[in-house]
Amino acid sequence: MIKLQDIRDTARDMLAKGEARAVIGYRRGSRGMLAEPAFLTRPEEADELVWDPTCFHNLSLYLVHDRKHLAHARKTAGAPVAVIAKGCDARSIVVLLQEHYFQREDVYIIGVSCEGTGVVDERKLAGHLNGAQAISAAFDGDDFVFTTAEGEKRLPAREVMADRCLECCSPFPKEHNLAFGEDKTGRQLEAPFAALDRFEAQGAGERWDNWARHFDRCIRCFACRSVCPMCYCDECVVDSITFPVTTATTAEEKASRIRWIERSAARSENITYLMTRAMHLAGRCTDCGECDRACPVNVPIRLLNNKMEKEAREQFGFEPGASIGGPSLVASFLDNDPGNFIR
Amino acid sequence: MSKKRTGVFVCHCGTNIAATVDVAKVAREMAAENTVAFTQEYVYMCSEPGQESVVQAIKDNKLDSIVVTCCSPNLHEKTFRDNAQRAGINNFTCEIANIREQCSWVHADKAKGTEKAIKISRSVVRRVNRNQPMDAIAVSVTRRAMVIGGGIAGIQAALDIANAGIEVILVEKQATIGGRMLQLSETFPTLDCSQCVLSPKMVEVKRHPKVKLMTYSEVQEVSGSVGNFRVKVHKRSTFVDPDKCKICDHCTEVCPVVVPNEYELGLTARRAIYIPYAQAIPASFTLDEDACLGLNPIRCGKCKDVCEAGAIDYDMRPQTVTEDVGAIVVATGFDLYGPENMPELGGGRVEDVLDGLQFERLISASGATKGHILRPSDHKEPKEVVFIQCAGSRDPAKHCAYCSKICCMYTAKHARLYKKHVPDGRAYVFYIDIRSGGKGYEEFVQRTMEDDDTLYLRGRVSKLYRKDGKVRVHGTDTLTGQNVEIDADMVVLALAMTPSKGTAEIAKTLKIGRDKDGFLAEAHPKLRPVESVTGGIYLAGAAQAPKDIPETVAQAGAAASKVIALLSQATLSRSPLIAKVRPSHCTGCGMCVEACPFFAIRLENGKAIVNEALCEGCGSCSATCLRAAIDVKNVTQMQIHEMIEACLA
Ligand SMILES: Cc1cc2nc3c(=O)[nH]c(=O)nc-3n(C[C@H](O)[C@H](O)[C@H](O)COP(=O)(O)OP(=O)(O)OC[C@H]3O[C@@H](n4cnc5c(N)ncnc54)[C@H](O)[C@@H]3O)c2cc1C
Ligand code: SF4
Ligand code: SF4
Ligand code: SF4
Ligand code: SF4
Ligand code: SF4
Repeated sequence: MIKLQDIRDTARDMLAKGEARAVIGYRRGSRGMLAEPAFLTRPEEADELVWDPTCFHNLSLYLVHDRKHLAHARKTAGAPVAVIAKGCDARSIVVLLQEHYFQREDVYIIGVSCEGTGVVDERKLAGHLNGAQAISAAFDGDDFVFTTAEGEKRLPAREVMADRCLECCSPFPKEHNLAFGEDKTGRQLEAPFAALDRFEAQGAGERWDNWARHFDRCIRCFACRSVCPMCYCDECVVDSITFPVTTATTAEEKASRIRWIERSAARSENITYLMTRAMHLAGRCTDCGECDRACPVNVPIRLLNNKMEKEAREQFGFEPGASIGGPSLVASFLDNDPGNFIR
Repeated sequence: MSKKRTGVFVCHCGTNIAATVDVAKVAREMAAENTVAFTQEYVYMCSEPGQESVVQAIKDNKLDSIVVTCCSPNLHEKTFRDNAQRAGINNFTCEIANIREQCSWVHADKAKGTEKAIKISRSVVRRVNRNQPMDAIAVSVTRRAMVIGGGIAGIQAALDIANAGIEVILVEKQATIGGRMLQLSETFPTLDCSQCVLSPKMVEVKRHPKVKLMTYSEVQEVSGSVGNFRVKVHKRSTFVDPDKCKICDHCTEVCPVVVPNEYELGLTARRAIYIPYAQAIPASFTLDEDACLGLNPIRCGKCKDVCEAGAIDYDMRPQTVTEDVGAIVVATGFDLYGPENMPELGGGRVEDVLDGLQFERLISASGATKGHILRPSDHKEPKEVVFIQCAGSRDPAKHCAYCSKICCMYTAKHARLYKKHVPDGRAYVFYIDIRSGGKGYEEFVQRTMEDDDTLYLRGRVSKLYRKDGKVRVHGTDTLTGQNVEIDADMVVLALAMTPSKGTAEIAKTLKIGRDKDGFLAEAHPKLRPVESVTGGIYLAGAAQAPKDIPETVAQAGAAASKVIALLSQATLSRSPLIAKVRPSHCTGCGMCVEACPFFAIRLENGKAIVNEALCEGCGSCSATCLRAAIDVKNVTQMQIHEMIEACLA
């Protein structure tokens, strides 16, 4: 079991000694039981930190933000930023490191193991609470304990955990500077890609109908892209609206901005967006589940990204975020690829 | 940007295109395009009058760009770009729309074929609209060549190039040059002694002032491109100075280590310090680092003590040498298919079952038995020998699908040589059929069957195993339909020829392709048989496909003449169609760096930078970049986008 005090002490210590510019962690939120991202810069703030089943945010996103702010202000980094990272979050950091987004020494990874459980899926939990509002959530062995106005409710974690956590075999952040909690690498509550497999068990027609419904629903708020640490591009290829025009932008460049999609949130445009994004996340998405969680209209984005992950694993034995030095999926090919065209 | 004036030239290619595509309609449709100022159709655009009409039309109509809708750009892109240049416009404003290979040849329905041809043509018209005029990049040529592999192919190529006055570096992996040919006894169809023909050439290589010989060496890294390659060669340490070694053999007498002799294919043993063959070039002993007790006078040091010439140096270090060359010939040869893959033929574990090369060593005067045929198990002369052809060849289900081409011939040779050595012996040959195309080859096989009384049995061998001191061979004679059982004293397998071990690695290092069987791939099976797919790299010998010595030598000569022609030019022109980064979009992720097969991209200050001398314009980077931050000139994302749009419209 992770002792919250240990995490707080580490944060306090690092800030006090100036070993970290900031600590990115979780604090009690203003919305019911949910934790929210916290950015600490003073040692005395350390006691605000929490660690509970609602710490689902992938905080590596803020490492990306930090880089963007630094670049914008034309500042250099100095001391590293410390960040609390679960298994999936730490893998995201590995991918960012692989892609040279920052250097290893720019980040201090305080790993937290999801041990036997994981984080909660709000939608699943709502089904168990029968309308009651939870005020707080806590880990307790294989259970989650929720406090509601009516009292305590204990639920087996498996029943209210996010799908991705059920399927996760590496809940321990392998890449870390310091790690709390037991290494439960290899644990598996459900087979990898179980949710995807259930979806894929449907016929093609059914699957298409489902996706058509989902794509129709997307409002292109871009929450999925904004919450994704991998979608850090200054200009997203599908988004000609944010094309950065500076004094150096030539007329030729302006003229040659491609409109891959139109602005309207029509099905065809939404498909192009979500498919392009899925392609761009192949070999990079570490299944942190944030896009899926952030979507206000419940598009099961995870299934798309998961499909890419599954193909990559089955076809090429590739696991995103496995090691910093490893090759990236889209830029490498196997010499013994059965496809002749590639040799 | 003022409006383009594009000319579109639609070719009928006789009826090749016109039969399936309404060419007049294609021309009409193109005329309706906004940027098209002129269209024309003609029966053979590439004919002399066709080409002249293109030049004339460009001049008369003040065209600034042209699209020729015809066959593959592989065939006539250069032709029409030259015409554009002749007419006074930039050659890179000419593009080809392939409506033959990609349209008329693969379709039957004329209405649909026409529709597709229009889409293809229109997409290229749109592309040309954004083409930039460009100048070819002139690069100087390094007038030196490298040959990789010192078998007969490599030796011949090196000599031919050197004799043209061009410096050659010959890189050989083993301690001696000579390759497989040095292991052969006598060679078909003339039965002349292999080593006697080869040795003088080996000596010539050694002595040639224009040849730099690097044995015990391997190519580690290659960068650059045609005309200017930079090659890193790793030379292992032999621990013996070849200039001092007197080949007195004193060292082997004292060396306590005994290991199987790979040059004799394991039929005999050698010491840790050894010379591969008496004819080895360089004529020097080699100390096998892995077998030696430790290169250390305290642990052993016996050889160094007895070497009067002072040739042994335990402190000799491996070296890495960098060589600049303009062209490379790859002649890395072949290996035999592993018998372990063939449990039906003993899986390499049945005693007295040899492979063809082992048999060559057995009958070679320089081999372990001094040319006496004695079987390994009891050193007795075998009286009944079974030769099995196509062992591992022509068996797509289990082994190699291809025919190894030379086994029919060397098996006939083996049978004859066997009869010469053991006149009272009996030779059986199992075969599928006899392939003896070649000058004097059929006569050779006939003589083996008739004069030498060899029993040819048509059929496959189903199994063999050891029984009562012999090897029992079960086969079928498909001509009589009977099962055959032979208790043989010895069995010789004509194992399939495979690309030599390490071919995959060398192909990767050189960035040249391999075919489905793993042999090095030629650029075109008919018209460019000695060129690899990468410019400036040529192929010779059995590394490209199974072949015998005469064919190997012919191919080596052809590769050499290509090298000489290339290196006779003062400069080469390189395509300017290379990658260009848009720094504003690049996030410095480095995926393009990984994807580039030519190591042409590096990251600097968080942005990708293309090395123009190395970029081949392959587009791998552009396809990889998530942010559309890297484009190949004249094939930009915008152009591709508009081409797709034109096709979908
Ligand atoms: C049993 C048998 C009998 C035969 N009898 C005859 C015959 O009677 N008549 C006939 O015409 N043909 C005969 N042949 C065929 C003949 O052996 C080949 O045609 C010939 O050896 C091909 O020469 P090569 O130079 O291409 O390859 P090889 O002889 O295989 O030479 C390749 C050389 O390249 C070197 N090499 C490999 N990889 C590397 C690397 N990465 N870097 C540096 N060096 C490398 C190898 O060490 C070797 O020295 C016979 C073949 C066999 C198997
Ligand atoms: S999938 Fe959901 S989160 Fe993403 S853009 Fe559409 S509506 Fe927004
Ligand atoms: S695509 Fe979704 S699950 Fe994957 S890394 Fe991005 S936010 Fe996380
Ligand atoms: S979808 Fe692709 S281009 Fe857009 S932000 Fe994500 S990774 Fe970048
Ligand atoms: S792949 Fe694209 S973004 Fe990444 S370094 Fe190359 S050009 Fe830049
Ligand atoms: S086009 Fe790109 S990938 Fe291809 S050689 Fe040039 S830089 Fe390398």
